[in-house]
Amino acid sequence: MSEEKISLRINDSVYECDAGMTILEACAKAAIDIPTLCYLKDINQEAACSICLVEVKGAKALVRSCVTPVRKDMEIFTNTPRVRKARRMNLELLLAGHPKDCLVCDRNQSCELRKLAFDMGVRDVRFPKTTKTELPLDTTSVSLTRDPNKCILCGRCVSVCSAIQSVKAIDFSGRGKSSKITTFFDSGLANSVCVNCGQCLLVCPTGAITEKNATGGVWAALSDPKKFVIVEVAPAVRAAIGEEFGLPAGSLVTAKLAQSLRKLGFDKVFDTQFSADLTIMEEGYELIDRIKNKGSLPLITSCSPGWIKFAEHFYSGILEHISSCKSPQQMFGAIAKTYYARKFNLDPRNMVVVSIMPCTAKKFEALRPEMKSAFDYWKDELNLKESEAFYDVDFVLTTREASRLIKEAGINFINLPGEDFDEPLGISTGAAVIFGATGGVMEAALRTAYEVLCGRQLEKIDFFGLRGLEGIKVAEVDIDGLKLKVAVASSLSKARLLLDEVKEGKSPYAFIEIMTCPGGCLGGAGQPIPTDNEIRLKRMEAIYREDKSKSIRKSHENPAVRELYKEFLGQPLGEKSHHLLHTHYKQKEGEF
Amino acid sequence: MKTIKKITLKENDASKACLDKVELDRIISFYAGKPGRLLGILEDAQKLNKHKYLARGDLEYISRKARVPLSRIYNIITFYAFFNLKPQGEHSIVVCRGTACHTRGSKILLDFLINLFGFKEDDFSQDGKSFLTTKDNKFTVKTVACFGQCALAPVVEIDGNIYSRMNSEKLRKIVKGISTLRGKK
Repeated sequence: MSEEKISLRINDSVYECDAGMTILEACAKAAIDIPTLCYLKDINQEAACSICLVEVKGAKALVRSCVTPVRKDMEIFTNTPRVRKARRMNLELLLAGHPKDCLVCDRNQSCELRKLAFDMGVRDVRFPKTTKTELPLDTTSVSLTRDPNKCILCGRCVSVCSAIQSVKAIDFSGRGKSSKITTFFDSGLANSVCVNCGQCLLVCPTGAITEKNATGGVWAALSDPKKFVIVEVAPAVRAAIGEEFGLPAGSLVTAKLAQSLRKLGFDKVFDTQFSADLTIMEEGYELIDRIKNKGSLPLITSCSPGWIKFAEHFYSGILEHISSCKSPQQMFGAIAKTYYARKFNLDPRNMVVVSIMPCTAKKFEALRPEMKSAFDYWKDELNLKESEAFYDVDFVLTTREASRLIKEAGINFINLPGEDFDEPLGISTGAAVIFGATGGVMEAALRTAYEVLCGRQLEKIDFFGLRGLEGIKVAEVDIDGLKLKVAVASSLSKARLLLDEVKEGKSPYAFIEIMTCPGGCLGGAGQPIPTDNEIRLKRMEAIYREDKSKSIRKSHENPAVRELYKEFLGQPLGEKSHHLLHTHYKQKEGEF
Repeated sequence: MKTIKKITLKENDASKACLDKVELDRIISFYAGKPGRLLGILEDAQKLNKHKYLARGDLEYISRKARVPLSRIYNIITFYAFFNLKPQGEHSIVVCRGTACHTRGSKILLDFLINLFGFKEDDFSQDGKSFLTTKDNKFTVKTVACFGQCALAPVVEIDGNIYSRMNSEKLRKIVKGISTLRGKK
């Protein structure tokens, strides 16, 4: 059906398009822009905002182009006085109820509503604010803040939460002008099944959903001479933060980023990729152990904190399948405040670990009560009281927040020549870089597992079948006759397909990688806005470019990780690893 | 300055689960596979409650058993004026505030009730979802946008019965009747 072509007229020119298209899609193909606000292709097509109106000959009223299918010989007008007037009126009505504090709004550079108002020539506010009551902010979550006053009820967040993530923590409530988007009994995100993935934030056209700002705490630590402040940077950040400084998507700015963080005043600039290599060692050996000793298979990765909370709510029956490895962020914090502190004779109480993440759920992860391994490690030796307890990771910044620190400090990011990360916790391999893309953890783990199991060099280390933006990717690897089926899922709705099989005991896979956000960490909610599939692909290309440029591309060959095992940890899955690098999961109040 | 209120989990007696689980299970399985399942379940659950409301705890149970997200349930119960989230008085009086009833004096009826029971007018918000209950828990006064009985305006619903062409005097007599009837028992 969709193969069928029809011809129609748009603004007096004849075009040909597919029969199944909407007017909006047909116009886009004809290079005619129609402004949209609530529309998100394949995700939110609720026709809520009435900005995309067009005139169709013969139709009594203007039609919403985002949901109206094209017909043969349709005559469409996208730029008539009537269309412009109606679009602008609808926008002005939306603006009437919206706060006007754009100057100090988190989204002031990336607000779609502000941009629309500018593009559509709205230069004054004609209508007074209709709502008198100010709605309370939802500040319960440690990752996200929701300001319903800035919400324009487009419904994108509800659709993403439901269709992409299948979490359904938020929905509309009330009716008419008391409509708002909220959680069950307005009890706040922290008291719901919200997994803090923040995909809602990423699609919000306004500043109604923002990350919890941690920049204040980081500034305070940086200006405290008593503190030894360490920063760790996640893989996906270097492939995206350039966008915040006006560079095109897909720009790799690893060296500039390291240098600008040093200029910010961090005592050491380290890399989460170091602990990503460490994760591969622990997780790889865990996989090998489970295969050899007939443990719970499939083994499922545990790097993505949104997925972990999701599992605790919705799949508590299969928690033993999830790797007990902490995520690279947490492994880094634990190692920095134990191994590194000991090696360089630092008091862990005076150390501050700041992580820069493409993620909002990482803020939640860092504050999980069990993430105090370094404190437990030092407790007896330093005679610490429970009241002195400290977290392994003190502050989590998103990519966007980190760019704000750099801008505020007046660092000319774009023109920096670039520097390397510090040693030893800044040394990493290509296997760690690809953690930032969906399929990357799997590929990195296979590179190591293969060589450990076979005892010889892997010739083709690029697993192209595990790369790309598809929601589910599967592959079969032959390790000396041992055939391993592996699967990779990105986004939680896709993960459900694999998890339901595990739940029923029918999963054919030995190893599953799950990333909460579509595309993996490079599409996380801490990344620059906008993030769409085109941009995700470019960031992904950058990540694989970086992998290729690394001289060492397998985690077990990382010299700093080898040294860590030799000097401190002993061996993967050893006693120290168990206390510092592994964790456990608990069933959470779920729905079903 | 903008006030930032922290939303905290409010726990009180009214939010606790109070319905019989066996009865709730029966309701949920009765509607299994039927269209409009959730509405049916919620309607019956509310009827089952002595104080004619949906307690938070019961809704959490329904969510788990019927496999409906809590956010979806909250969407439904806040959309329909029919559902109550707080305990209701023994008798309900619903004043229609639709256009037809308004032009035939329903505001006067509402003011009459507000005076009669000693409520404050400000307590009523405009969204049609708020209600007031007398201190002795006997009467709950609510408004509704339209009953669809415009030809009989103004209309007041008392304990499920629609009373047409109401006036303050008739209303006073009915309310008095309910009060004394109960007194005699």
